[in-house]
Amino acid sequence: MRDGAEIIGAAVIPVGTGTSGPARAMEAALKDAGLTQADMDVTAATGYGRNTLSEAGHVFSELSCHARGAYWLFPGVRTVLDIGGQDAKALSVLPGGKLGGFVMNDKCAAGTGRFLEVMARILDIDLDTLSRLDLESQECVEISSTCTVFAESEVISQLSKGTKPEDLAAAISRAVAFRGCGLLRRLGLTEPLFMTGGVARHGGVVRAIEAELKIPVHTDQRAQLAGAIGAALMAYDKITREGE
Amino acid sequence: MDDHIERKPAKIRLREIAEKATQDAWEAKLRGEKVGWCASNFPQEITTTLGIPVVFPENHAAGVAAKGGGQRMCEYAESMGYSSDLCSYSRISFAYAALKECPELNIPQPDFLLCCNNICNCMIKWYENLAVELDIPLLLIDIPHLDAFPCDEDRIRYIRAQFDDCIRKLEELTGKKWDEERFKEVMAISQRSSRAWLKAVSYAQYTPSPYSGFDIFNNMAVAVVARGTVEAAEAFEQLAEEYEENVKNGVSTFKAEEKYRVLFEGIACWANLSYTFKTLKNLGINVTATVYGPAFSFLYDNLDELMAAYSYVPNCNVFERELELRVNDAIRHKVDGAIFHINRSCKHWSGTLYEMERQLREKAGIPTVVFDGDQADPRVFSEAQYLTRIEALVEIMEENKRKGARK
Amino acid sequence: MNRMEELLRAFRNIADNPKAQLEKYRAEGKKAVGCMLYFCPEELVYAAGMIPFGLWGARTQAVEAKRYLPAFICSVLQTTLELGIRGAYDGLEAVMIPILCDSLKGMDGNWRYSVPHIPVIPVAHAQNRKTEAGVAFTASQYRKVKARLEEIAGRAITDADIRDAVSVYNARRAVMRRFLELCARKPGLLKPSERNAVFKSSCFMDVREHAGMVSELVALMEEAPAGEFKGPKIVTSGIMADHPNLLQILDDLGYAVVDDEVTHESLRFRADVPETEDPIEGMARQVGNIEGCSVLFDPEKNRGKMLVDLAKKSGADGVLLVLTKFCDPEEYDYVPIKRMLDAAGIPAIQVEIDQQTAENAQTLTALETFRGILGY
Repeated sequence: MRDGAEIIGAAVIPVGTGTSGPARAMEAALKDAGLTQADMDVTAATGYGRNTLSEAGHVFSELSCHARGAYWLFPGVRTVLDIGGQDAKALSVLPGGKLGGFVMNDKCAAGTGRFLEVMARILDIDLDTLSRLDLESQECVEISSTCTVFAESEVISQLSKGTKPEDLAAAISRAVAFRGCGLLRRLGLTEPLFMTGGVARHGGVVRAIEAELKIPVHTDQRAQLAGAIGAALMAYDKITREGE
Repeated sequence: MDDHIERKPAKIRLREIAEKATQDAWEAKLRGEKVGWCASNFPQEITTTLGIPVVFPENHAAGVAAKGGGQRMCEYAESMGYSSDLCSYSRISFAYAALKECPELNIPQPDFLLCCNNICNCMIKWYENLAVELDIPLLLIDIPHLDAFPCDEDRIRYIRAQFDDCIRKLEELTGKKWDEERFKEVMAISQRSSRAWLKAVSYAQYTPSPYSGFDIFNNMAVAVVARGTVEAAEAFEQLAEEYEENVKNGVSTFKAEEKYRVLFEGIACWANLSYTFKTLKNLGINVTATVYGPAFSFLYDNLDELMAAYSYVPNCNVFERELELRVNDAIRHKVDGAIFHINRSCKHWSGTLYEMERQLREKAGIPTVVFDGDQADPRVFSEAQYLTRIEALVEIMEENKRKGARK
Repeated sequence: MNRMEELLRAFRNIADNPKAQLEKYRAEGKKAVGCMLYFCPEELVYAAGMIPFGLWGARTQAVEAKRYLPAFICSVLQTTLELGIRGAYDGLEAVMIPILCDSLKGMDGNWRYSVPHIPVIPVAHAQNRKTEAGVAFTASQYRKVKARLEEIAGRAITDADIRDAVSVYNARRAVMRRFLELCARKPGLLKPSERNAVFKSSCFMDVREHAGMVSELVALMEEAPAGEFKGPKIVTSGIMADHPNLLQILDDLGYAVVDDEVTHESLRFRADVPETEDPIEGMARQVGNIEGCSVLFDPEKNRGKMLVDLAKKSGADGVLLVLTKFCDPEEYDYVPIKRMLDAAGIPAIQVEIDQQTAENAQTLTALETFRGILGY
């Protein structure tokens, strides 16, 4: 980001921390901006593995970063639902973008991106296709298990009974949506609601949350970057304050 | 004269008795009387003698789950901040206490709470929260888990003191008066009900069993909510007569060929009742033994024995006694195998079942399987897992039959 | 290293090496009796000339215990049973098992079949613990325990022995309360992990030895300059806050634990045993005076009121609810307790600990974020 105001380069590499992922992501983002690490005034890290990135001069908790990043993407946001690859969080945002409170999911893959990946594999389609398949659903089917492994066997049983993949896609989206809605209810939801994290790009889940809560779920194409945006902004704040 | 008038079948009478018990509580509430929420194994002799209307949130939760509301109500409780790890009966109850109504089933809201922890200590936490949430009085009869059998004098003395204290407090709370004569009457009726229940259940010792074992899960509601009434005693006696008739005629309420007889350990998966039952029925498996037979046989000849009887409920006994109940039932009711429901909601019960399964297998000489489920939350049950395990059990039972036949 | 640092290291060393402690006492010719959480009549063990050893699980994996316990039973009991099966507790004469929670109720049977060489002494407490009938019941059960301890010790336990034990235990409670007060008055003097060790070590020591060390520590804390602590101050609440990863995180993030409502920590020391003519009756009464524990009957949720009070009196910025994973009583309490904290305007979050898990990434995130919310 430049001057805490515009994104000049971004990259998303879908591998875990502790791999070549972080280095590749940084390289790709810098390349996208046409700059090098030396050009950076400040670098910050957030998310799992934030404490091991040597280039990072600052480290921030991803909850604060998601709140801040969401606020930048959608000024005036009061509640953020962040569903990532392996966890889900609901954040309440104070006017101005500061984090008010938060609720995190139980240690479990159900209701996260991992769940969607597993289901996509079973249906033998890619995540992108899965995210749109629910639109063709005609019949309401339920996947009720809270355990991903049980849910897997539910989907397989349904498929073998001839249940249509589009109906299962809708059910899978609903399952993830319900877990997210559960977090929001525990937190206490104030509109407007903004979704971040990779699962925000899964149209089926967003639709299912809107249907369940009967309120609009705002998101942005750049929502998956919300954490990084927030970290950049918080780092920018630090150096401009210190400069004063 | 009346002998020739057609009686309703016992199971219909029992259902009506259970419905009437709730209806009576509603009417009492509308009249302005105080109504309590009561633990399933609280000494009903107290409330019946005093004539205090009570309803049972455990039964309510089971009914809500059986009618399909389990998940919705559990999710509501979770949105209140309750962990999904907690007993699903209590989650449904918290949701109901907050929402005040439920499309599947309604019971009047409580003016006071009667708790008894003979079945578990989660009852205490559940009722504590209701008391604080609804700002109503809570009376607890604490029945300490047994470390031996029979129940010791110290426990009897302690239970008795709480029994008496509870009566006094309820008199103050409701204005009703304790009557010793009425108490004697209620004790007599309760025992008549208990004996009749035990007798009815015991007909499963015949081959084929004259009844479908899953019927017990429905019929036992009356053993909880109306044990101290003449209507219940008569209905159970009629149930026993019907079963006796069935035995004579070689028929059963189990509408399939009884190929295998099993002991079913645990409460029903109320939210998955149809699937769990049909799977067994399709394989010719009838449940002929459950702990719910002896569970509702409160038999006593004096007050001390009454107090002790409430410590003999399942989950309050020392391990060896619990095992003995199952082994005796398994042998007497000639089971071919046993199915253990590891109920996610019930840590107390599930925390003893792994060892119990091993020892039952050994002492009763039968194959066993376990499956994961829940009493009222449908999200914790896997049809595929259940079917696989039951089919595996059938293979072993079938093999045992072949071996037995060859001898 | 100054004397205070030496002492704190000694506490930590004892806390981390219970087996070495057991061997030390046995080498001295002493017998030891295990006491499973939450509360046991330790004074009776001491009165018999034996050492009580607190059993609160350990940071390990349950493997053998899984033959007895489904995965959703708490790790404290999973790991306690595991250690029993593995022989880690060999050397204990017996183990006392209370019935204060549902999972404990099953431990009697599970232990007797999996660890048959260490006999069980069941301990039943009255939940209606403040009534005369309840006190009488708890006292009757303590007398049964006494009889078993006499058999084990091979000697009679007189009322005078018990009175003496009560007096010694009360003296330790008193010095622990001074320690609590100093932790609140001088935040930052001890790191959270150091404060924890003072409590944890009490599980593996002769009461007099422990009280002696704490007395010395308290005197040093009294002398030490108050300093100006600039970090976040919290009160912890739960069954246990004893997880190395959690303590490390609290240390690293610069938190001070100014007070606690934790059963493994202060709750065992806040209420004295009243010195009654029948000392066992006094011990039974004490159970009725303990507040703040989720497994003791508390229809008015005094736990919540107590927590709000502790937070206010200690000048804490917020409360950390430490949930032992799979602990039903704690999960039930969370809802009303959180509501009471919210109503009092006291910021609070909940983190989960699990002795079978080395690290919980969510805990670090939550505590970092909480520090930010508290304004640090």
